[in-house]
Amino acid sequence: MTAQIIRRLLWLPFLLIILTIITLALAYYGPGDPVQVMLGPRAPKEAAEALRQQLGLNDPFPVYVVKYISKALQGDLGESYKYRGQPVGPLIWERLGVSAQLNLAALLIGTVIGIFLGTVAGLFRNSWVDYGIISTVVLLDSIPTFAITLPLLFLFAVRWRILPPGGWQGLLDIRAILPIAILSLGPMTVFARQTRANLLEVIGQDYIRTARSKGLPESMVITSHALRNSLIPLTTLFGLALGGSLIGGSFFMETLLGIPGIGRLAFETFLARDYPVITALVILTAATIAIANLVVDVAYAYIDPRIRAT
Amino acid sequence: MAVAQGVRPTGQGAWVPQATSRRSRFIDGWRRFSRHKLAVLGLFIVGAWIVCGLFAPWIAPYSYRENNLAVSQQLPSAEHWLGTDRLGRDQLSRLIWAARTALIVAPFAVTVSFALGLIFGSLAGYLGGWVEGIIMRVADVLLAFPGLLFALLLSVTLKPRLVSMMEASSVLKDLVRSGYAELIIVILALSVVGWPGLARLVRAQVLSSKNSLYIEAARASGVNTWRVIRQHILPNILAPIIVVLSMSLGGAVVAESGLSFLGLGVEPPIPSWGNMIYENASNGLWRTANAPYLVWAPGAIVSLLVFAFSFIGDGLNEALNPQIGEGSR
Amino acid sequence: MGTLLDVKNLNTRFYTQDGVVNAVNDVSFTLDEGETLAVVGESGSGKSVTMLSVMRLIASPPGRITSGEIMFDGRDLLKLDDDEIRQIRGNRIAMIFQDPMTSLNPVLTINQQISEVLQLHLGMDKAAAKRRAIELLEKVNIPEAARRVDDYPHQFSGGMRQRVMIAMMLAANPQLLIADEPTTALDVTISAQILDLVKRLKKEVGMAVIWITHDLGVVAGMADRVIVMYAGRIVEQAPVGELYASPRHPYALGLLKSIPRLDEIRKEKLEPIEGLPPDLINYPTGCPFAPRCPYAIQKCLEERPPLAPTTSTKHLSACWRWQDVKR
Repeated sequence: MTAQIIRRLLWLPFLLIILTIITLALAYYGPGDPVQVMLGPRAPKEAAEALRQQLGLNDPFPVYVVKYISKALQGDLGESYKYRGQPVGPLIWERLGVSAQLNLAALLIGTVIGIFLGTVAGLFRNSWVDYGIISTVVLLDSIPTFAITLPLLFLFAVRWRILPPGGWQGLLDIRAILPIAILSLGPMTVFARQTRANLLEVIGQDYIRTARSKGLPESMVITSHALRNSLIPLTTLFGLALGGSLIGGSFFMETLLGIPGIGRLAFETFLARDYPVITALVILTAATIAIANLVVDVAYAYIDPRIRAT
Repeated sequence: MAVAQGVRPTGQGAWVPQATSRRSRFIDGWRRFSRHKLAVLGLFIVGAWIVCGLFAPWIAPYSYRENNLAVSQQLPSAEHWLGTDRLGRDQLSRLIWAARTALIVAPFAVTVSFALGLIFGSLAGYLGGWVEGIIMRVADVLLAFPGLLFALLLSVTLKPRLVSMMEASSVLKDLVRSGYAELIIVILALSVVGWPGLARLVRAQVLSSKNSLYIEAARASGVNTWRVIRQHILPNILAPIIVVLSMSLGGAVVAESGLSFLGLGVEPPIPSWGNMIYENASNGLWRTANAPYLVWAPGAIVSLLVFAFSFIGDGLNEALNPQIGEGSR
Repeated sequence: MGTLLDVKNLNTRFYTQDGVVNAVNDVSFTLDEGETLAVVGESGSGKSVTMLSVMRLIASPPGRITSGEIMFDGRDLLKLDDDEIRQIRGNRIAMIFQDPMTSLNPVLTINQQISEVLQLHLGMDKAAAKRRAIELLEKVNIPEAARRVDDYPHQFSGGMRQRVMIAMMLAANPQLLIADEPTTALDVTISAQILDLVKRLKKEVGMAVIWITHDLGVVAGMADRVIVMYAGRIVEQAPVGELYASPRHPYALGLLKSIPRLDEIRKEKLEPIEGLPPDLINYPTGCPFAPRCPYAIQKCLEERPPLAPTTSTKHLSACWRWQDVKR
C-alpha cells in the first residue's frame, strides 16, 4: 500500500507535465489569433507583432512549453486575453471561491439527503417506498443541468416570483437557493443509489446472519453492523466529490443563472479562445482530481481495517 | 403467517434455490430482463427515438430548416402541435429531426470509444508487461482531463482545422455544406474522452477472469488459447461491458446536447435538442410568449432517454448476472 | 433427562420466481437436554433450513415456515413475537455457521462482537464484558487472548475465527448449540481440533448440540443419535451405533458405503449414489429417493412411505422395504 502511494506520488508530476504539454499544444496549434482578439482587427502591424513576441507566440513550440512551465512554477500563469491586463491566477482564484462555496454546500446537502434516502430505500427494499425513492432519484439524475435550470428558473422566478432571477450576492443570500438545489441533485442521486446498493449487499452477508443469531434487535443489527459496513465504501465517493467540488463549476448552471464562478469563466474563455485561462483551468482541474484520488485512497486505507493490513 | 414475520432475509447463507431450467441462455435472460418493468419501458422509449431518427423526413410534418415568418412565434395549434419559433419553424418537426442528430452522434461516439476501449483494454489485460504500461498510462493521462472540458477544448481547437480539411476533399465537401460535418467533430471529441474509462474496465475484467478458477480449469483440461478467450473470457467480460454500453449511450446523448447547447457542437439550422434549448431560451420567447415548453420539451426528451438507458442498463445487469439480480430489486 | 426441543411437523417453503420450493417437509424430531444429535444429508437436503427455521432465521421473503410446532423448553418458538425470539437467540439457543471467514463482521473487533452478546443477554457493562470476552477466548484456546481481543477478524486464521465464533456463541451459556457444518470450510487437522473443542465444551457446559454435516465420518465419534435427511424429509433416525451397524434406509446405506474407511482392509469398492436429488418444486408423490434407489418397487413411486419404527421405537425409517435393507 505504501509503495503504491509513493509510486503514484512520483507519477503525479509527470502526469501534470504531459497534461500541460497536450493542452498547450492544442492552444498553440489551435485556430484563432489571440493577438487579433486582444487588439482588435484594425490594430497596427507593429503593435501586433510586438504583442506576439511578448506572448511568446513566435517561439518554437518546445521553447513555448518550457517558458510556460518555468513561469508557471513561479506562480505566473500569464495574462488573460479576454480580460486584458488581468493575470490568470487571481482571475481564476476569485471565481473559484464562488463555485467552491456553492459546490460544497450542495455536496453536503446532497450527501446527507442521499444517504438518508438510500438507507430508507434499502431498509424497505422492494416496497413502494423503495421503488418511489429510487425511481424519483434516477429520474432527477437523468435530467441534465442544462435542461433543468431554465424550467426551474421559469417556475420560481417568472411564474411564482418566489426567487430572484439569478445573480450572486454570496452564499447566504436567497439567490443561492436555486443553484445549490440544482447542484445537490447529482450527489443526492449517487449517494442514495450507492447507499442502497451497499446496504443490500451487506444485509446479504453472513455476518449479518451471525448478528441476528446472537439475538440482537433488528435496530442494532442495522445500526451497528449493516449501516456501518455499508457507509465505509462511501468515503471514497465523498472524497472524490469533495475534490471535484473544490475545483469544478457547472458551465450550464452558472452561465444560465449569472453566477460569477469558474464554470461561467470556462464557458466565456472557451468562446473567446482565451488560451492562458483555458490551459490553467484544465491543468488545475486535472491536478485536483489526481490529488483527490490519491488522498481518498490513503484515507480509505485508514478507515477500513482490511485494507490497512495489506 | 405470523410465524416468520419480522425476520429479514438472511441472504445466501441459508439455501439458494438452484436454477433448474434448461432453457436457452437468451430466453432465460429475456425473462429476467422483462421482469424489470422500467427496463421494458426504457426499450420502448429508445425504440421511439430510433424510429424518429431513422424516419424523420417522413414523420416530421414540416421541414426543420424552412423559415416561414408568416407563422412565427405561434402557440400550439392544429397545424403546429408544439407551435413555432421566432423564424416560424415547426417545433415538433425540429424535435423529431434532432432525434436524427442524436442518433448519428451517440451510437457512433459510443461505438468508437468501445472499439478503442475493448481493443486497448484487452491488449493491456491479456498481454501485460510494457504494452499494458503504455496503454494504461495514456489512459491515465486522458482520464485526468475533466471530460466535458476536454471535449470542449478538442471541439474548439480542432473544429476549424478539420472543417477546412474536409472542404478540401471533394467527397466530404457536400457533407460540410449540409452542416452534418460538425457531427464528426462531436463524435471524435466524445470518443477521445470516452475510451480510456472503458479500457480500464475491460482490462480489469480480463485480468480477473484470466486468473479465475474456470479459466484455469479450462486450460488444465487442454482447451486451446483462442477457445479459452472466445468461450470463457469473452462471455464473462461482456456482461459488465454491455451494461456500461447502455449507460454510455445515455451519456453520449447528454454530451452531444450539452456541447450543442454551448454552441460548440451541432450548429443551427441543424437541430439538436441542446441547441434548441439554447436558441429558444436566448431569444426570450419562452418567457414572454408564456411558452416554457419550448425550453423544457427538448430537455425532457434528453432526460427521458437517459432515464431509459439507465433502466435498460439495470435490466441488462439482471439478465446477464443472474446471481446478483435475484432479490436486489 | 427431559426433552429440550420437540419439533413437530415442520414445513418450510421458499416462494421463488420458478415456483414454491418445498425445502422442509413434515419434519419431526426431539432432542433431550445435553444430548448430541447429528443431522446428515447432502447439500439441499433441508438440514440447514430446518435448523434456521428453529432459530426463526429463515429469510422472509422468499421463505416462510408454513406449519408446525417448535417446542423449546416448553414454549412454541413459532408463537413467540420478535422480542421474545430474540431473547432466545444467542442466549438459550446459539448457532455457528459454515464459513468462519465471512461470518464475523470485518470492521468490528473481536471484543466488540463478543461483548455485544454479553451486554445484551447478561446485562454486563463494557469493562466486565471485555474481561469475560478474554476468558471466553482463553476457553476456546486462543493464545494471548488478552492481547488479541482487540484484533479484527482478518487478523485470525480460519480455524481461529471459528473458535472466536464458538466463544461468541457460548458467551451466554446456551442450552442448545446448533453447529451448521462448522468444519466444512476448514482443513482436516483444524477441523478435528474444532470437533474436540466442541466436545470438551459440551461436557463442561452441559449443553445439547445439533451438529449438521454432510459427512457421516465426522458424526461417529461425537453424536448420540443421527437423523438422515433427504429432499427436505427425515428418512432415517437412529442411535449412532445402530445406524452404522444396520441402516434401515437405502439412502443412509448409500451414504455409509460412500465413506472411505481407513481402519479395515477394503473388501468392496466405494459406491457413489447414482443420480440427482429430486426437484423440490415439483415434489414427487412417492418416495423422493425412489428414482435413485436400488431397492425401489412400484409402490415406492406411488405412495410415500411414512417415518415409522423399525427394529425398535428408537430406530425409525421411511422405507417400505426397510427389512430388506442390509449393510
